[in-house]
Amino acid sequence: MNVDERFPDLDLPDHTGRPRRLSELAGGDPLALFTSRGWWCPKEQRYMRGLCKLQDEFEVAYARIVVVSVDPPEVQSAFRAGLGARFTFLSDAERRWLPRLELLETTDTVHHPYLPAAFTLCPDLRVHRSYNGYWYFGRPTHDELRRDMREITKTIRDDWEAPAA
Amino acid sequence: MRPFAFVVFDGTRLSLDPHAPGRRLRIDSRCVDGDPVTGAFAHVCALPDRSAALRYDEPEVQQARRDALAWWIPMLGDALVCLTTFALDASRCAGAITVARDPTRFAADPFARLFPGTIVRSDVFCAVPPPAGPPIERYGGAPWPGGRFQ
Repeated sequence: MNVDERFPDLDLPDHTGRPRRLSELAGGDPLALFTSRGWWCPKEQRYMRGLCKLQDEFEVAYARIVVVSVDPPEVQSAFRAGLGARFTFLSDAERRWLPRLELLETTDTVHHPYLPAAFTLCPDLRVHRSYNGYWYFGRPTHDELRRDMREITKTIRDDWEAPAA
Repeated sequence: MRPFAFVVFDGTRLSLDPHAPGRRLRIDSRCVDGDPVTGAFAHVCALPDRSAALRYDEPEVQQARRDALAWWIPMLGDALVCLTTFALDASRCAGAITVARDPTRFAADPFARLFPGTIVRSDVFCAVPPPAGPPIERYGGAPWPGGRFQ
């Protein structure tokens, strides 16, 4: 996905099995979207634990976090509970979106998972920045996510500059 | 869409009639803006006493919202119809209501730590997608999880 391109409005079940749309999950806020191999990958476990620390900032900053993987909802729900995550997981267990997004990790012929990637999105799902996380250090750091959220928020909030007295 | 609607609670009954006796509470308007789910149960964690209020910024109110996102909503699963906090004004919370098709999980309601819960049969609330998380802040004073910035 290229910068300023609109990310597809994914329609997938969430970790509770409810049908959701990405645009609905964004809800008018900036969104950090992560594609993830799945619960079994140690790199994913480590990165998600870090995201759970960052969610304490997102929860007060009017920004959203969404993770997509091929794990079924019940597995995502257990993984999410174990992490202590309060954000949404979307399940593409049927791999409906995986080929369309061209994010299949071809080197894993066992799980056929998503390539780890990250996208920071505007509320209308325009791509602000994308990250290739195939190698762990390709993933966005917390500071890079903060920077992206700041840049998007500054663009979309008319009152970024505090109103004068 | 309106940022909030009202319900009236008298300690045992809920009503959408603004002239009904009881305490008038702001709710996420989506909870009453669609097709109502009949035969549902509402867990009303609030008191009719007008002084029963906490600030949304109090740690216990913040934590109840975190718990709703972390495990309360997943625990209810398909039984959940909708959930909204009760707002009194721009800063005060009078509790919350969780509406479900099955009341058996209500004993675990994290909002019952704020105010005691009363179970009420209700046919007026609509199914609303649960909040995406992780935001627990409110949008322009709307009752969490309702509202959004335009």
